[in-house]
Amino acid sequence: MTDEQANVVRLDMRGSRRLTMRESAVWYGLAGASYIALSIFHKWLLNWFVGPAWLVAFVWAGPALLDRVRRR
Amino acid sequence: MSWGAHQFEIYAIQAHLPRRMRGRISFFGVWLGDFTPDFLAKFWVYGVTIGSTHYGAHVPHRWHRGWPGVGFTHTLSFGLLVAGGLWLWRRRRALTVGYALGFAAHALTDVNDSVGTMLLFPFSTLNWTTQAWSYAATVSGGKYLDAAAYYSSLGLVMDLLWLGVVLGWWRALTREFWRTEVVPADPHGWARLGGLMPERALLALYHATFFYGICRVVSWSTWTHVVARPVIDGVRRVGYPLDLSWTGPWWIGTRSLPHAPPALVPVVAGLLLVLVYATASALWERMGAAEAVARGAGA
Repeated sequence: MTDEQANVVRLDMRGSRRLTMRESAVWYGLAGASYIALSIFHKWLLNWFVGPAWLVAFVWAGPALLDRVRRR
Repeated sequence: MSWGAHQFEIYAIQAHLPRRMRGRISFFGVWLGDFTPDFLAKFWVYGVTIGSTHYGAHVPHRWHRGWPGVGFTHTLSFGLLVAGGLWLWRRRRALTVGYALGFAAHALTDVNDSVGTMLLFPFSTLNWTTQAWSYAATVSGGKYLDAAAYYSSLGLVMDLLWLGVVLGWWRALTREFWRTEVVPADPHGWARLGGLMPERALLALYHATFFYGICRVVSWSTWTHVVARPVIDGVRRVGYPLDLSWTGPWWIGTRSLPHAPPALVPVVAGLLLVLVYATASALWERMGAAEAVARGAGA
């Protein structure tokens, strides 16, 4: 991979950044670890709504917030 | 009842569709079909306690899977009836067949606990069960004891088996699979969601039920075997004892309803699964033609 290719940011149909495999693994891992750690002691979190919403929120908002912080 | 298995089986269905159905079965339909039985029945199984009054089923296993009760929500005939209603309402083959397959997976997986499901309802109210593990929802134990019993029994193995089936066909979790086989079956639904969120969130939404399934298995298993401090037969223990024997765990009383001989269950369940697939296959082209006509008329 050339430096030019490595610097290309892949965008989706809405112009949002696509995650690399490594980034995806990190965000999914963070979502899973935090959800499991909390839900072991707070069982009300373990339901059909919170579980799926937890992952979507992490993967949606996490990278966006990180990008905003990096740009500052 | 089954726990994480229901989250995993919807991906297993997507991954193992017959060739001509690939990319043409609605993921939302499969999801909805798989979750309908418990959406309708489970809340009242555990019930809710307000003050000192418990509101809920007096005999949870009969309410959940029997007749009288709402056991019909876990029967193939009910699933096919709702699928038929969806077809009449929307005229969408992807949604209708997806719903029927998802519903069938749920009803057939639930034959493995000691109560089972009424597979031949309304022709028979006899339950069909392999009795692989004990049905453990009780008024006093609620969700916690139910989870503890499930994750101390062959139920845990069932969850891991379904997880293995999905991971063995990991391609069903990739972005490429989602793009080429999941989105085309629900173009309008995904497009509408795509107007609200970026692609990475859409993909996460597709993965979300799988994610929840894994977290559910790990969280409840950890609580059951590490965190909980139950008192069983007067002895305080660190975690509930694991018992992978048939109809385990030993420390909970087995609940059951009048049922067919367990040895017949795999045969009958297998035949019914083949029947659902065969019916879907037989109607596939005709439904496609009817959908095209309906769309043409609506255009």
